[in-house]
Amino acid sequence: MRRQLVIATLTALAAFAASVRAQDPGVSVVDFDKKKGGSQKIHELGHVVAHDGAWKAADVELEQDRNRPYAYLCGFVNFDFTIYDLSNPSAPKQLFRWQIDNPELHRGIGAMDGKYFKINGRYYYAQSLQFMQGTPDADLGAVIFDVTGLPDPSKVKEVARIRYPQSPGGFHNTFAYKHSDGRALYFATINQSKALVYDLEKIVKGADPATALVGEVPNPTPFRQIGGGGYHDFYVGYDPATGQDKFYGAGLGGYSVWDVTKPETPKQLFTITSLGMDVAHTFTPSPDGRYAVTETEYQYTPLRIWDLEAGQSGKTQNVDIPISAWTADWRDLSHNHEVRWPYVFVSAYEDGLQVFNLKDPKHPVTEGHFYTCGCEHEHGFGGNPDNGWQSTTSVEQGAFGVDVRNYDGLVVLSDMRSGFWVFKMDGFTGWNGHDYNMPNISSVQDWDHGPEKAKPKVTSE
Amino acid sequence: MSLSKALAVIAVVVLGPYDIQLHNTPRTPNAHGAARLVFAESPFGVAVTADGHASYDVQLTVSGLPEPATLGAYKAYVAWGVTTDLKQWRRLGTVANGSSTVGRVEYNKFMLVIAAESDSAVVKHAGPVVLSGTSPSSFLQMFLAHPMFRGVAP
Repeated sequence: MRRQLVIATLTALAAFAASVRAQDPGVSVVDFDKKKGGSQKIHELGHVVAHDGAWKAADVELEQDRNRPYAYLCGFVNFDFTIYDLSNPSAPKQLFRWQIDNPELHRGIGAMDGKYFKINGRYYYAQSLQFMQGTPDADLGAVIFDVTGLPDPSKVKEVARIRYPQSPGGFHNTFAYKHSDGRALYFATINQSKALVYDLEKIVKGADPATALVGEVPNPTPFRQIGGGGYHDFYVGYDPATGQDKFYGAGLGGYSVWDVTKPETPKQLFTITSLGMDVAHTFTPSPDGRYAVTETEYQYTPLRIWDLEAGQSGKTQNVDIPISAWTADWRDLSHNHEVRWPYVFVSAYEDGLQVFNLKDPKHPVTEGHFYTCGCEHEHGFGGNPDNGWQSTTSVEQGAFGVDVRNYDGLVVLSDMRSGFWVFKMDGFTGWNGHDYNMPNISSVQDWDHGPEKAKPKVTSE
Repeated sequence: MSLSKALAVIAVVVLGPYDIQLHNTPRTPNAHGAARLVFAESPFGVAVTADGHASYDVQLTVSGLPEPATLGAYKAYVAWGVTTDLKQWRRLGTVANGSSTVGRVEYNKFMLVIAAESDSAVVKHAGPVVLSGTSPSSFLQMFLAHPMFRGVAP
């Protein structure tokens, strides 16, 4: 009887280990050459290699309206972006590709981040770009396209370019946000210790970008060893509890949260700084702002989970101890992520798509994975254009960006090595925060109505 | 690291403040080259234009260029001095494998571009780029703009 119990227990553990292969406590790592395929819950629907060269893609963006099944793949060092029609998710159809003029004369990391937005019934796509000083377009941050006419590619029109010559090097990451005051805003990183905030309606109407620049958010956590440093990435979301629009920035030196209800005059709320936080990369809160997931961009570091209550309530100016952490494989590095509480969808570089669950924020649990990189460990992105951006130490390769379509749960992922992927996860048929007793707030914007206000403002007589 | 890569690294390292490393394109993967800026002939030690721009001749060393006709309806390679916004293209002269001197270029910051053209005498650029590089003056940039200090790309 006892022997049968032991066998049954071992069998159950083996089954658990087979389905959960990330580095949850007690789970061993997977040999690098065995990182193929996925777990039972994650299903590959489609895959497009996208480019011929060694580097295929940077970030990826999904439109969210039911009648617009379009995805945007940033072409990274190919200096382009591609629009796919996902009417049939198993067979993504390329509709349109744009590339910078004279690509052979440009040098840099190129097309990095893309965001779509909607103004007055028209849809737009903003492609961020980064070119080196000394080559063309070093001052070019983003190119804006009117994509209302999709799927007809002939109706895709460039409508604006945002240049910021004060700081050559372009925009690395961006965030398009429907502000509670009704404006569509575009937050952008630059090579200075601040983020820029543009009014997108002014941009698409042809205003000089200098006049459409409505705000700047300083980085209050400069990397002291180098005397400065800007933001790397950010998230902007509405906080129904306080009625504030909040900016969650990750930059050199740490993380910071700002009240951007009036983006012209941002107000600092609190920071996250601590040992090991200097290379802060990504910062995504839960829908209610209580918890957050952060990434720091160096090998071996996990994603950290934070309880922000003390900072959000004003009890402290700085939070410095995470409540938990999660990693796909301690030897690697997980990159960008999208929070659809309690799920966190991670583009985990060499470890492909990973999904973990924060139902208990102190004990993250892996939900599933799909390896997409098919690459040699520590042969990632690095160096310079002359050596093909090839490193022999970097783990920065593989899954770069991820996005989730809220109305049906479709997941798209961009892989630097293998291109564009489409997935579904069992049991995840869409996301609305109300299903989890949360505000319906994520990176997805309600461009027609603005952020959901759980507590409508009451005006007194 | 292979011997050829090591030599390439050494070549970059030994480039001086008047040298331009030329980069090939997918059309001409075997082409290599470098350029050195030398002050144009002048009764003074430094040649400048009337409005104060440095005036350079360009000494080119190029190898691996295929016959222009292999790229299409082209008969010659022409060197151009180009402003970094690509709005001004100034013809510098014809180029072939080996060493040659072309000029003059009188921009503060510029790109040196070699393109296949339909005729050796063209005065307007139209053909495909086969080699390009940036002037050393373009390397000057803010300390914070260095990728190492940008939050670590990507």
